[in-house]
Amino acid sequence: MSMPNNLSVPLVFSEVLFEKMKLLSAGILDLELYEFRYCLAELIPEDGWDSIVLDSIEAIETRINDLSFYENIQIKSREGNRIILDPEIIRLTRMLFVGLVTGIYQQDWIAEHFYFDVRGFIFLHRTIYFTEKALEHLGGRPFRQFEQKQKRFEFLQDIGYKAFREANAEVDQCFIQSVMKIIAARGTPILLAIAGATAAGKTEIVERMTAAFHDVSQSVTSIELDNFFTDREYREARGIDSQGKDAIHFNLLLQSLEDITKGKKISIPRYDTIDATSSHDLDGRLKPGGIPIEIEPADIILIEGNFPFLIRETLHLIGIKVVYLTDDPVRMKRKWKRDIDFRKKYDPNYFRNRYFKDQFIMAQFAYIPQMEVCDMVVDTTGAALWTTHETANILGEI
Amino acid sequence: MKGYPMIGTNRLHSPLAFSEILFQRMIPINAGIRKLAFYEFRYALENLYPKEGWDSIVIEKQNIIERAISSRKFFESILLKPIEKDRIVLDKTITKLTRMLFAGLVNGEYSAAWVNKFFYFDIRGFIFLPRTVYFTEAGVTHLGSKPHRCFKPQQTRFDTEQEIGYLEFAEANKEIDQAFIELIKQLIEIRGTPTLITLAGPTAAGKTEITERLLGVFGHLGQRTTTIEMDNFLLDREFRDGKPMGQGTIHFELFKQSLQDILHGEKITIPCYDTILATSSHDLEGNLIPGCTPLQVEPADIIFLEGNFPFHIQEISNLIGINVVYLTDDPIRLKRKWRRDVDYRKSIDPAHFRNRFFATQFMRAEDVYRPQIEHCDIVVDTSAAEIWMTPEVARQLDKK
Repeated sequence: MSMPNNLSVPLVFSEVLFEKMKLLSAGILDLELYEFRYCLAELIPEDGWDSIVLDSIEAIETRINDLSFYENIQIKSREGNRIILDPEIIRLTRMLFVGLVTGIYQQDWIAEHFYFDVRGFIFLHRTIYFTEKALEHLGGRPFRQFEQKQKRFEFLQDIGYKAFREANAEVDQCFIQSVMKIIAARGTPILLAIAGATAAGKTEIVERMTAAFHDVSQSVTSIELDNFFTDREYREARGIDSQGKDAIHFNLLLQSLEDITKGKKISIPRYDTIDATSSHDLDGRLKPGGIPIEIEPADIILIEGNFPFLIRETLHLIGIKVVYLTDDPVRMKRKWKRDIDFRKKYDPNYFRNRYFKDQFIMAQFAYIPQMEVCDMVVDTTGAALWTTHETANILGEI
Repeated sequence: MKGYPMIGTNRLHSPLAFSEILFQRMIPINAGIRKLAFYEFRYALENLYPKEGWDSIVIEKQNIIERAISSRKFFESILLKPIEKDRIVLDKTITKLTRMLFAGLVNGEYSAAWVNKFFYFDIRGFIFLPRTVYFTEAGVTHLGSKPHRCFKPQQTRFDTEQEIGYLEFAEANKEIDQAFIELIKQLIEIRGTPTLITLAGPTAAGKTEITERLLGVFGHLGQRTTTIEMDNFLLDREFRDGKPMGQGTIHFELFKQSLQDILHGEKITIPCYDTILATSSHDLEGNLIPGCTPLQVEPADIIFLEGNFPFHIQEISNLIGINVVYLTDDPIRLKRKWRRDVDYRKSIDPAHFRNRFFATQFMRAEDVYRPQIEHCDIVVDTSAAEIWMTPEVARQLDKK
């Protein structure tokens, strides 16, 4: 492919790219050209931008929808003692930059298939959560639609809790009222499962629901599915990621859910997110020194996690199945703030690799299948509440 | 916080009660805390939770702490890259200090006023850092004992921010920068060209931006300008670590010769320093390393020397026309560096970054900035929005 001249002069390249990226990602508007160049420095190819070979758009589309592409992303490769950004992620972003500057890739095409994370300075694939099957299951249109206030985050590089909560106030409120109405119709005790990707806002919504039930004198307890994880070392060594029954103390989970829905107090494992270890060994026995979590029975039992109703064996125990969705770009910005800035949980490169990889894999394995069987979807970014026909009937006009 | 016990409590170690009190007590110390949800505060606090609990923290007397943070040894003892389980971690002394201040604030041993006087708290890093003294008595006396011009401090708007970008920083400094530019224009008119202007200042004080603006202004007036970044004269980082900035940390002979040559109107060839690899294009003997490319600098009327170096030392002080120190307060610089060096450049591990910033502020101030301030012509303090100058410079300007 012949390349126009502005590829061979790095300063010109960055200037043209800067202007084009402003149209693609509003967050870039907040940057000075200096800053943009600092970010870009990491991605400048050794042999210059004109050394980048562009794939056809068909080839790119195929690749970014292929599971093996994501499976091959190396999250912890090291150069010296630093974790590095995966070469495929670099290659994709470089290609899109060059394609954008030369005009070989249309801006609209890039925007349709990718989003750009300013802080990470990489392109990521846009995951489609509302598959045809999910849309059909949810009646083809939202039950309620509100103003999309997360649009204000387009200019931000990271998002804190307070701003996020404010933006979701309307849809969250409507969701809580709906759940209360369903519970009034179905009776208690009831197990309410909330599935959602990392940083979608599960913990906060559980928090708010708890407060709302307390206000009407109903007892509430909550179970974090994460607490059932087995040691990360074990999961990683066996190539089990973070989904499905192989990743958790499955028998303990099943027994716990059965017991608590019968009104019994339960004792569940405790997963330490810092050490990434469980209080229980692989046979489900408490490790010496491990402290389990005691959970009292309640009218409403909330269970939140990545896949609370993915496992067929537990489905019959769950009263209400909710998927709580927040778009990938927004979640990523939340994670920058929460997991990188506050928790300081990961190396930033490890985080970029893992997010790029997991968002696709987790969507395919966990969220899309759960959307196709759930009762409700809360789409915080779309500011919409979706329900099945059956649920809508219970809700009527609220 | 009432009515909002955290759901995830069972995975956090720091007791709710301690976290709640600390959260409240931190608000007068850093206004940005108010912008955090309690969740976020707890997540950040979790990294500092002592294994044996907060009760295990020994709270030292205030005078002992004050003495410690005014001694160079304290900062020299900071390890930049201590490693635990494959990851660089925060230095133990830094952790100990922040824990102690947290525990002391919660049990009432330390007042907010005392903590504020000696420390500032960086939210993003979630550590306390000692406040650095830049204006010594000698410095203040040298600069006529009071600022020459004062403006309304605009950087207070950053009090609640965790990081600061270029555009907002430039916006906040608009007034003082404009006044400084006018002043330099006048001085050059008085003193003539070619002239060398040094612009020293701590990392992320805003040296590059102000130089850029000065270049624009003089270019507009039809004067030939150029800029030399002092960083380009740096020796490889491994040869500098631990040494005070000075003749021993740069290619000094090359530097001196370059200044003399360019002031004689000659084109010069200087080393090139790679900030990512932290290496120079030249070896310790000042010879170009095969495969490396040096920088060429054309002669000019006004030559800016940007960066950190004790420009007042005898061997070169007679070559300098106007000696400026451009200052921005440590907390603001730290927030700028989070954005620029950690978020954008991604050139440094965040824990390494915290250790390094903590360790170097004191030493740099002692080695470079305090002596510079005591010998320079002009100080621009962007955070206080003040311009200081020697009585001699002030007289020259007044005459005009």
